[in-house]
Amino acid sequence: MKGTLLVIALLLLAILLSLSVGQVMIGPAALWDGLWHGSGPGALFLRVLRGPGVGTALGAGAVLGMSGAIFQILLRNPLASPDVMGFTSGAGLAAIWGVSAGIALPIPLFSAIGGLVAAGAVILLATDRNGSQPPLTLILVGLGVGFFAAAASSFIMTRLPHQEATEAQRWLTGSLAARNWGHALQVLGLGAALTFALALQVRSLALLELGDDLAAGLGTRISRSRGLLALTGVLLAATGVAVAGPLPFIALMAAPLGARLTGARHPAGRLASAAAAGAIITVLADLAARAAIPGLQLPVGVMTGILGAPYLIWLLVREMETGDL
Amino acid sequence: MTQIVLKTEGLTLGYGDRAVIDDLSMAFPDRQVTSILGPNGCGKSTLLRALARLLRPSRGTVTLDGEDVFSLDTRALARRLAILPQAPNAPDGITVMELIKRGRTPWRGLLAAWSAQDLEKCTAALRHVGLGDQMDRPLNTLSGGQRQRAWIALVLAQDTPYLLLDEPTTWLDLRHQLEVLTLLRERNRRDGTTVITVLHDLNLAARYSDHLVLLGPAGLVATGAPDDVLSEDNLRHAFGLEAMVTPDPVTGTPMIVPR
Repeated sequence: MKGTLLVIALLLLAILLSLSVGQVMIGPAALWDGLWHGSGPGALFLRVLRGPGVGTALGAGAVLGMSGAIFQILLRNPLASPDVMGFTSGAGLAAIWGVSAGIALPIPLFSAIGGLVAAGAVILLATDRNGSQPPLTLILVGLGVGFFAAAASSFIMTRLPHQEATEAQRWLTGSLAARNWGHALQVLGLGAALTFALALQVRSLALLELGDDLAAGLGTRISRSRGLLALTGVLLAATGVAVAGPLPFIALMAAPLGARLTGARHPAGRLASAAAAGAIITVLADLAARAAIPGLQLPVGVMTGILGAPYLIWLLVREMETGDL
Repeated sequence: MTQIVLKTEGLTLGYGDRAVIDDLSMAFPDRQVTSILGPNGCGKSTLLRALARLLRPSRGTVTLDGEDVFSLDTRALARRLAILPQAPNAPDGITVMELIKRGRTPWRGLLAAWSAQDLEKCTAALRHVGLGDQMDRPLNTLSGGQRQRAWIALVLAQDTPYLLLDEPTTWLDLRHQLEVLTLLRERNRRDGTTVITVLHDLNLAARYSDHLVLLGPAGLVATGAPDDVLSEDNLRHAFGLEAMVTPDPVTGTPMIVPR
């Protein structure tokens, strides 16, 4: 309970800081005023300049966090997340391909297809002779698929005109610059729908956590449940990628951080904690990206990379020490 | 007259091309404690997994009340038959009560809150295994024997007329083995639960079972009451073991003394 309050407080603080701090500082009072009145500096920053970016960051962080938690619980491995396993890179590749080819379809559709194709490729390549997919093989094959998708994205980028290539480069790093309310509503709306679908599957996730045989004995249809959970996880990640690009490491870090903050143990609580932690990290990383170098807006992915890469290295070292890798 | 509800007919089981169980037709008596015995690799666990529908037979069927278990709804089957596999996975930090509660899943509506009955079944299961005062302890702080009893409480909370356990006493010392087998037999005697276990220890199986299934390298060797199944001939067939069978000085059940 104390942990839950702490996370909510942190989330509100992150939102407030992110709305206030930047090249121009806006106090909480002005923001409060702007919430209720349509004019003045508070309204400008809340409704036009910073609000949409913060809303998009919240949504993208939350969906990526939940996606990471799903795969980490499902595969019982802290390294299993859609960014490490190449799903977000696949989603990014499809989106950039769709945009560069000038196909007039919504970006989330491309990112969803890209994420699913990447996940399908990972599963196919990682399946051993007995028809099962050892978690570690999935992760390593996923790394490979991710590298391939990233390289293919770079290739497409080089074929673009200079201006668009710069834009694409930012997006592929993971960017929340120039987001409008359309982006925020898109990620929050799709995220809410997928969260509802996930809520219906939490029980099977809680059983799968006990091992496949016991879960089956308790009434779970194993392949079907796993498939649906993985599908939901990929779509959640793709929803985040569609508005923020393949933001690295959010999905990897959110669940362990969230569980540590709230102390949640049941998958339902861990998914909610991961969503909150993902949102906090993304909002703060976006803030840091805007405020780190005055006059220059870094892509938020640079910040999550600086934060996430050391965590990944620490995780790898620990896994090797405990013999899990 | 014992009723027979759980049966196998022409059951052939195997992983890949190798048949571990070949053309097995047999029955498991209702409301009794049955132990499946046999040497390593003879397919004891494989048979148990097939009974619980965890393994699809390459030929033949497992029927419950005349119905092929594969034709039953997954959830409906989970309300009738529970299985505790050999090495379930304990989620990090989970407490005893949190673990047991997951055993109620087949009985709960999709978005229903916890009913008083669900919670009562959980606490009753915990009391039955002697962990009534340990429900808020994290599972990984319990001793090996307590932990195994917690897992058993989970399948007891599932509240099924059939309870299957794959080597529930492995890794336990003798006292804890006796504890586990005693509580399974209590459950059987009190609620009429049909208990089917895979066991390694022949003497304990003879003490605690009403019915034995003895498998050998070439399939079923014998099935029936412990006195009939555990004969010197059958042991030779199943294990290639020369042994003497004498009455257990404490219980009078057959006791195996290798020569």
